[in-house]
Amino acid sequence: MSHKVIIQRLATGVPGLDEVLGGGLPQYSFNLIAGPPGCGKTTLAHQMMFALATPERPALYFTVLGEPPLKMLRYQQQFDFFDQDAIDRSVRFINLSEAAMAGELDHVLRQIVEAVTLYSPALVFVDSFRSVVFASASESNPHHKLQQFVQQLGMLMTSWQATTFLIGEYFVETDANPVFTVADGLIWVRQSVQRNSMVRKIEIMKMRGQPTLPGLHTFRISTAGIKVFAPAGMGSGQPAGLPAPEQGPRLLTGVAGLDEMLGGGLPRGYSVLVAGPSGSGKSILAATFLAEGVRCGETGVIAAFEQHPNRARNRVLVDLVEGGQVGLVDSRGSDLSIDEVVSLLLSEVRRLKATRVVIDSLTGFELALAPTFRDDFRESLLRLVTVLAGEGVSVMMTSELEDRYTDLRFSPYGAAFLTDAIIVQRYIEVDSRLLRVVAVVKVRASAHSNQLREFSIDEDGLHIGQMLPDQEGLLGGRPTRKRRDELSGAVDAADED
Amino acid sequence: MQQPLANRVASEADPTQIAAAVLAIWTEIDDALTPIVGPLGLVALYRRTVHLAAAQHPWLAGRDEGVLTDTDPAVLKSVLAQRSSAEAAAGGNAFLTTFHELLASLIGPSLTARLLRSVWEPPSSGAAAQDTSP
Repeated sequence: MSHKVIIQRLATGVPGLDEVLGGGLPQYSFNLIAGPPGCGKTTLAHQMMFALATPERPALYFTVLGEPPLKMLRYQQQFDFFDQDAIDRSVRFINLSEAAMAGELDHVLRQIVEAVTLYSPALVFVDSFRSVVFASASESNPHHKLQQFVQQLGMLMTSWQATTFLIGEYFVETDANPVFTVADGLIWVRQSVQRNSMVRKIEIMKMRGQPTLPGLHTFRISTAGIKVFAPAGMGSGQPAGLPAPEQGPRLLTGVAGLDEMLGGGLPRGYSVLVAGPSGSGKSILAATFLAEGVRCGETGVIAAFEQHPNRARNRVLVDLVEGGQVGLVDSRGSDLSIDEVVSLLLSEVRRLKATRVVIDSLTGFELALAPTFRDDFRESLLRLVTVLAGEGVSVMMTSELEDRYTDLRFSPYGAAFLTDAIIVQRYIEVDSRLLRVVAVVKVRASAHSNQLREFSIDEDGLHIGQMLPDQEGLLGGRPTRKRRDELSGAVDAADED
Repeated sequence: MQQPLANRVASEADPTQIAAAVLAIWTEIDDALTPIVGPLGLVALYRRTVHLAAAQHPWLAGRDEGVLTDTDPAVLKSVLAQRSSAEAAAGGNAFLTTFHELLASLIGPSLTARLLRSVWEPPSSGAAAQDTSP
């Protein structure tokens, strides 16, 4: 039997934060929430406080300088987590501005001790800490004094069995601030601004004794409070590029001819890329794919990244979304992060127990991402595909691809290697008409057709037609009619296929 | 809301009793709010309240040195005590009501009621609990 101390982990009540923290907040830890003004530190502190505080385990919230308490209460009560009934019962606000303004750290500490002795809180918040740093700057040796203060506070709070948070207005990361050494946990919140988009990010720079998820994680603040988008499924699920073993019958795409070309439909759990020029019918194919799923009693999710979703989306899809058989993840302007999209997709997939996911289109998706994430778009896509594969769903992604008649390309992002199957659509000119052809380029670990088939689109959707065996040079966009003697041979070969 | 002084003083109370009651209520407000907003925060609220209430009862602002510049509630008490019973009651009620409304405009009526419930709910007078929400 082990006699090691067991560190309880507190659930912070902030969606996604516990995952990033590596399983919650260690009890009796001494934490620092730091970051520039306006990045959500006080909101984060309040959200955790209202989630964690109970009459048996009350919270004390010390306001030092910085934001006047009346203003803080005025704005924080706008959030859903702000529970007025908890005030003076499980949550107590205490203002220490007078002692802090006089620069008397000892006095501040004494007042904290008095309040802690009186109320025996399980949680203590000191907001904000920079004021204390500033107040002490007038002293002869401010750093020393400050370290002493923090050290004493940390020791005291741990002995009083209180989980403590210092909220710091601003710290320079590279600064060898003594506070950083004393703290058990260091939570950094910041805003990243690039061009016109702003993205909020949180980083756990330190959390003693816990495997935190490294790096910057995006979060969003809404009326419900903070939501952190932890990278979903990383470290679990399927390794990249290995689709789940095929289970059950293949998925039908809803286009009979295409199923035939795919070798009998799309293997379950596969991701398929539909690449083609503008207007070639990618979105229609994607909608048909979802509609076919619904017809077979399955549900689906579509992530739509179009400029005018209502205008562009087709009627069938709108009905499915309204009917609740297809979940819709809509893009919200140009400040999305990949983790947010993944998180939205996953929650829809799990809510509907969906088996089919459509991302329409990768081009729009890239534009919807905040500019700061665009450099990593390929890595992001890989993550997205990996996570969805781990979830066991089949994914259809569309990708806008300008026709190039000098080379054969499948995706502008090099996304081709990410997916298990590729369908390419293309325009060709025959007899002064613009015709469309489609080909299945790849279906991993499966036989598939190598035909280049003409197809048409009408109000009933896509219709796969025949090959054009009397033409050659289709991929060049301007096919020429073959000579008679070659033609008969080509038709024979097609019949054998 | 009901007149704040209604539960605290008898209808035939003299100005001194009324002034004492207003000061007693203010002391309770002070006890309830100073820990939260800090002494300076409360002083700012006090001054604003006197300023607003003086629009109705100019004498509240005092004559020479005036309550407006003085933040000692004892001055308010003496100003009240110098008026007639009716005036003192009207002025005292206006002051307390204005304060309540001011705080409610900043942090909302329900949080105000929550923070000041020990003040506005008379402890053991036997009267029914007052509904402080408008």
